[in-house]
Amino acid sequence: MSRFPQLTVQERLHLTFEAQEFLYREAELLDDRRLDDWLGLLTEDIHYWMPIRRTTQAKEVHLEFTKLGGMAYFDDDLSTLTLRVKRLSVGRAWAEDPPSRTRHLISNVRVSDVDVDEITVMCNFQLYRTRLNSEEDSWIGRREDVLRRVDGELKLAKRHIFLEQTVILSQNLSSIF
Amino acid sequence: MPETIITSDRASVDLDACYNPSTGVLDRRIFTDRLVYEEELERIFGRGWNFICHESQIPDTGNFFVSFIGEDEVIAVRDRAGKVNVLLNSCPHRGNTVCRAELGTTKSFMCSYHGWNFDLDGSLLAVPNEEAFYKGGLDKKDWGLESAANVESYKGFYFATLDPDAPPLIEYLGWVGKLSIDMMLVDGPIQFLDGIHKNRLKCNWKFAVDNLYDWYHVKVTHGTAFKVGLVTEEAMAPNDQMVILGEYGHGIGGPGLTLEQQAEFDRRQASGEGESQWYDIQAGHRTDAATREMLGPVGHRSFGHPNIFPNLWVTHTRQMCLRIPRGPFETEIWWFNYLPVGLPDAQSKQSIYSHNHVFGPAGFLEQDDGENWSHSTRGAKGTRSKNRPLNFSMGLGHDTVSTDPSGQSGIETVVNEHGQRWTYQCWKEWMQADSWQTLKENHSKPPQGSV
Repeated sequence: MSRFPQLTVQERLHLTFEAQEFLYREAELLDDRRLDDWLGLLTEDIHYWMPIRRTTQAKEVHLEFTKLGGMAYFDDDLSTLTLRVKRLSVGRAWAEDPPSRTRHLISNVRVSDVDVDEITVMCNFQLYRTRLNSEEDSWIGRREDVLRRVDGELKLAKRHIFLEQTVILSQNLSSIF
Repeated sequence: MPETIITSDRASVDLDACYNPSTGVLDRRIFTDRLVYEEELERIFGRGWNFICHESQIPDTGNFFVSFIGEDEVIAVRDRAGKVNVLLNSCPHRGNTVCRAELGTTKSFMCSYHGWNFDLDGSLLAVPNEEAFYKGGLDKKDWGLESAANVESYKGFYFATLDPDAPPLIEYLGWVGKLSIDMMLVDGPIQFLDGIHKNRLKCNWKFAVDNLYDWYHVKVTHGTAFKVGLVTEEAMAPNDQMVILGEYGHGIGGPGLTLEQQAEFDRRQASGEGESQWYDIQAGHRTDAATREMLGPVGHRSFGHPNIFPNLWVTHTRQMCLRIPRGPFETEIWWFNYLPVGLPDAQSKQSIYSHNHVFGPAGFLEQDDGENWSHSTRGAKGTRSKNRPLNFSMGLGHDTVSTDPSGQSGIETVVNEHGQRWTYQCWKEWMQADSWQTLKENHSKPPQGSV
């Protein structure tokens, strides 16, 4: 049950600031390639998901995204995300060897819902990547994240990523959004 | 006489000399020369049967799905009679697209430029202000959307050709093309899933096709997949291989059971001993007599990757992949996904997990492929590097085609490049033929004996 409407401005400011601090810190870990530390920010039941987006007629925009449980670019739990990180350290992960250079720009952060121990945070992002000498990719989209307080620390319990692309214009999606 | 030389300001490719089947040496300019590419659009994509969609993607009247034949955008749409039409997505008035969505349902296709409105079979229904502006001078029956020359389905898989002289689909597919599709039906009727992974690679489409026969790269390119325990090394790249070659460039290459392995599998099945070898999981889908009959005595021992020429790769992960050309240096990769009808929920979930995590741009295997193919393409651009031919000699002259009494034939061997060689040999014949008639007369029959 959302308690959000009852919050004071001061309480909302505090929550938003806390969420922003978490998201900025997380982005720093990703861009610094500290992915083992990043895994430490995830809850045991994390759901990391990016549906497939399609171009539809205006009257059929309900078809725009694939549904939960179906086809997706990412539909990962903690063990799958751990494999994504682990594969980078075992050699021959060519999509990231040489490593990409990434920068996560996080903006429009707003807390949309609050529960006893969870904060739902919406944000917009740009993930900018360059590879090798002159490869360049830019992915823009929005995220719906759920941050959960575990032993006093915020952790990421859900990340749903909605990209502003239908055909993915990059050679792969080997970065974490 | 077929043309043999294509020239451009940057390069000239002698089609006759560009590939030598007796050495497996290939002129790499075929990957980058623009005129070669334009001829491919005409002579291969414009002439062959191209996979468009599966019947389950457009089950109801007005359902449509937009796809490509080479660079021609086409709309597959089910009309009121239940027929699937494949229409060029280009208004005959000014050429604008009449359908901007990639899938959906509609009653008709109205051009957003001047409002010409087309029925689901492509016929021109109405033109705004026809009487006032055209004064009776427009014969609407001549100005419908152009249809593909022919549309046919094999077991629910719709293909279209732009060439009225193309042979019937069934003849084009031959036993190898049919086997490739039958392999997708080993668990019964299938339903395509909503959602196609699509992404763009900076590679020539032929490098992507070439790779599906390539079981040499697996341990190197995809080494992380078994290093992290996602799959075993033996299951990913077994040394026991079988290659099946079909007329017009179709082929199947990859893991295959020897007769001894098949006998051992059957023995373990009968005694209930369970799985012990790399092939048990896949062979387990082919234990009943009807399935083995459908695939045939050689076909049912193959677990390789089929390519339905030119660009449809079938996998054994309930997926298939189109490699759509976007100019000589760019290819769009489309992953279609399907499940057997009535598959229990737990198994569906497991299959969808595999669909989402093996191939596709974020897949544990495929994310590492793109730069290889892109850099192979880049390597065919350099003034010096493009003149250095490529080596496709693996296994050449060391193997034998064995033909079963049923007529099915295969090459049982280890990792090899027979599939790639067959692809380029047939590609050359397609490019040299000036018509279907010439191609029918001059194409190679799959080899017999020593290869």
